[in-house]
Amino acid sequence: MNRRTIHVLATTAAAALLLPGCTGTGGSTKGADAKAPDDPAKVSGSITVLTVRTDLVQDGTMKRYAAEFNKTYPKVKVEFQALTNYEAEIKIRMNTDDYGDVLLIPAVIKKNDYPKFFASLGTVAERGKKYRFTDFTTVDGKVYGQSPVGVMPGFVYNKRIWKEAGVTAWPTTPAAFLTALKAIKAKTDAVPYYTNFAAQWPLTSWTYVDGAVHCDPQATTKLAEGDPWAQGSDLRVGDTLLYDIVKQGLAEKDPTTSNWEESKPRTAKGEIATQWLGTWAIIQFQDAAKKAGVNPDDIGFMPFPAQTGGAYCATVGPDYNQAVNVHSKHKEAARAWIDWFTDKSGYDKDNLAISPLKDAAMPTVLKPYEEAGVKLIELDDSAGARVKLIDDRSEVGIFKPEYRQDLVDLARGAKKGSLDDFLSGLGKKWTETQASVGDR
Amino acid sequence: MTHAGTHTPARDTGKAGIRTVAPAPGRADPPPAPRRARTWRLLTPWLFLLAPLTLLITFTYAPIANMVAYSFTDWDGVSPELHYTGAENYAEIFTREDLFQVFWVSGYYLAASVIQIVAALYFATILSFSIRFRNFFKGVLFFPSLVNGVAIGFVFLYFFQDGGTLDTVLGLFGHHSDRAWLGTPASANVSLAGVSIWRYLGMNFVLFLGAIQSVPGELYEAAELDGAGRWHQFRYVILPGIKPVLTLTVILSVSGSLSAFEIPYIMTGGATGTETFVIQTVKLAFQFNKTGLASAAAVVLLLIILLVTWVQRRLVPDDRVDLV
Amino acid sequence: MTRRAVARTLVYLSLIGATLVVLLPLGVVVLTSLKTENETASGSGALTLPDDPLNFDNYVTAFRDGGMLTAFGNTAFILLVSVGGTVLIGSMTAYAIDRFTFRLRKLVIALFLVAALVPGVTTQVATFQIVHSLGMFDTRWAPIALYMGTDIVSIYIFLQFVRSIPISLDEAARLDGANAFTIYRKIIFPLLKPAIATVVIVKGIAVYNDFYIPFLYMPSQDLGVISTSLFRFKGPYAAHWETISAGAVLVILPTLIVFLALQKYIYNGFMRGATR
Repeated sequence: MNRRTIHVLATTAAAALLLPGCTGTGGSTKGADAKAPDDPAKVSGSITVLTVRTDLVQDGTMKRYAAEFNKTYPKVKVEFQALTNYEAEIKIRMNTDDYGDVLLIPAVIKKNDYPKFFASLGTVAERGKKYRFTDFTTVDGKVYGQSPVGVMPGFVYNKRIWKEAGVTAWPTTPAAFLTALKAIKAKTDAVPYYTNFAAQWPLTSWTYVDGAVHCDPQATTKLAEGDPWAQGSDLRVGDTLLYDIVKQGLAEKDPTTSNWEESKPRTAKGEIATQWLGTWAIIQFQDAAKKAGVNPDDIGFMPFPAQTGGAYCATVGPDYNQAVNVHSKHKEAARAWIDWFTDKSGYDKDNLAISPLKDAAMPTVLKPYEEAGVKLIELDDSAGARVKLIDDRSEVGIFKPEYRQDLVDLARGAKKGSLDDFLSGLGKKWTETQASVGDR
Repeated sequence: MTHAGTHTPARDTGKAGIRTVAPAPGRADPPPAPRRARTWRLLTPWLFLLAPLTLLITFTYAPIANMVAYSFTDWDGVSPELHYTGAENYAEIFTREDLFQVFWVSGYYLAASVIQIVAALYFATILSFSIRFRNFFKGVLFFPSLVNGVAIGFVFLYFFQDGGTLDTVLGLFGHHSDRAWLGTPASANVSLAGVSIWRYLGMNFVLFLGAIQSVPGELYEAAELDGAGRWHQFRYVILPGIKPVLTLTVILSVSGSLSAFEIPYIMTGGATGTETFVIQTVKLAFQFNKTGLASAAAVVLLLIILLVTWVQRRLVPDDRVDLV
Repeated sequence: MTRRAVARTLVYLSLIGATLVVLLPLGVVVLTSLKTENETASGSGALTLPDDPLNFDNYVTAFRDGGMLTAFGNTAFILLVSVGGTVLIGSMTAYAIDRFTFRLRKLVIALFLVAALVPGVTTQVATFQIVHSLGMFDTRWAPIALYMGTDIVSIYIFLQFVRSIPISLDEAARLDGANAFTIYRKIIFPLLKPAIATVVIVKGIAVYNDFYIPFLYMPSQDLGVISTSLFRFKGPYAAHWETISAGAVLVILPTLIVFLALQKYIYNGFMRGATR
């Protein structure tokens, strides 16, 4: 009997040890295509769409999109799964073939592995004519994902408060920006800047100053090749500004208990003056203003305070890219959903976002940008995969909250050390890893 | 800091179970049972254990075996490729100081456990004597250990907010503090450890109370007759009576402190120096995609916990607490 | 005042202090749940009473938008099956461990114990692969299997009780020709009633409160349980303190009711379990 138990134990252990060998992604389906259907009326099947927009699933907005979709594709049934903690959850699920039919390409998947996980949507030559951001998901000339909106980082601010403080023109340098915040602190009751430390991701978005500071489309390539925190580099300029804001007492009193949801109505009402977020946030702040019964037009948007050749600069990038699961049984239906959601759903307009279509007009919220002659650039993402690899290996985490939480703690005095040491420490970690990663 | 454990009395107390030991050769045997019956008898306990062990092995030990296997690779947790790296991950863990620094945070939880155990003992003792509204107090103290963890996270986030519950209450007492409770590492860790006391005290308290009430009444009477005060009663009657439970609680508190996760994860996500070892492990796996390294870290943590348990058993031998 | 009276007063004061510490955070959440969105948004103080103490709108919102009805249904189903399974499995294990001596017995005990010490979060990836390969992912069976798989607490409680059942009962039954299964079914199991009550409650509350397992293994919208539905309020874009508080109260309320109704069993179980 005992021997039998040991045998059972041994087999289970052996089976367990074999598992890592097959991490759930069969190579057999590698290189599948998700073709666009010819006849919308004939496409059928039930598809599961994974999304991060828990709010839209919760309030029925997604269902309404699906109903609209069904007018064109009557035989496709669309189900939604909203993941709260998307990256962590999807990573675990992608060890199996059970990760929905349509999903958002997670950051964890290495670019070169896209063909193993996703079905291609077409060649970069044909898609690049119509769509923006194709090279963010291109592997060997094929495109694997498409973002339904373009996003642009920038400061969401309360126009009324800035005016009350006597600042009418956008600051053109970090120093001028700090001066403006000081004026807000002196002349109004508002918190000049709100870090949203507790929600974590708003701090992470400070990495997206990269490219805007020096108006450089090759900013990502520079991250892969040099020290991101070298003197005068984009990230250093951004981090120094954030550090100075907190250090000079221009941010909220207790960042650790900041509250993202509360920050929206508070900004609308003028209790908070400024936050570094992105164009996607404007609609939410306007909604918060309507709910609080204040003027939604008080919500403004401004670029990073730096000018290159006398002009501001802003980077336009994709949000999460939608892709088709390579194991999906209804690839045509899944593809139909992505095409429809990108081209016809109006999701971009509903969110006042930049359209992913090259020939579409800019959203009206960006009118001030056009008037001010802000130059919009798209970053070249060919080195994006390498940057991610260096980032993970070095555990710096430029797209992770920890590094900026540390920065804010440093500025508040909750952590000891100087800014220079902190940034050069990051740079050292980064460049050492760079050397070890080589050209893989 | 949950409560668990088992204690088997030393098996030589003469209380034999049904004898299923195959008779040793060379001894005068009882008349041998027919072979089939004997096989059957040997098989019986395993039949009872079949379902529990299957579940246990499938859902606990197979994953652990897997985890140990991953700990020798550089797997990122999702890629179809992985390379065998030998003991590299372990070498990295033991040579990187920053990975071990997080254990200082466990110190806060350990200190909290001490306070928690002392407080639980105190309340258990006073409530074992006759007190008015005894049941009410008992219920109030115990209830938090039944509350949903997600709810607790929300409740206390609201509690520590700037101008939240805590500040308001202190304001009532005329103390207008301007401190950010979760703002500095020390203050944040103390706050979180406080939450863990709030949450787990009730469980310890009820365990102690049960142990105290099982002390035979005549012992108290004898002590009363000897003119012993409350303190003496506690020292010489109550403490010896609850030693096994106390030992168990201490072991679980230590391992609980080392693997503290839920409260800091929900409340601060490990920011501002509140990162515990488990949070760090989760971060390594899910943020930096070093599943191999994270697995190794988890294996190390498990070994440390087992070691602590073993050391404790060596230091406080108690034949009534049978822990591994 | 005699010394005794002073001591008594201090004891009562400490109890009242503890009561306040326990109830205050919870009380505030109840207050918050009755406020309107504008009241919380305008930063109304934690201890200020709501404008309308009978404003149950947030509860309606939480219940309806949070899909609480489905959540309660799913939770009930998972509770019934996994608690039932735990009772069977725990009592069988306890019976086997206590009433039999067999080789590897110590190893079996150790296996159950070590399992209790493993921080579950750390083995998640591997567990997920196994659950998926058994085809349980995104079904109610995943949490059920996981809850039944490792439960040292209930085994411990059962063990205490099995041990307190005199062995002479088994002996007598065996003389009457009963085999081990009959003894378990006819003698041990019925005598375990108080322990079963305890395990049902303790395990039930643990299952009811668990968050991480359903969070990971049942992502589908219609498979929410209490904890995950509550957590979904806190999505990256959707959360309001007043709704969250209402959700939290909705989640805590059943626990409170069960506790008040059955506290006797809960205490007894723990107390009997803790002592021998």
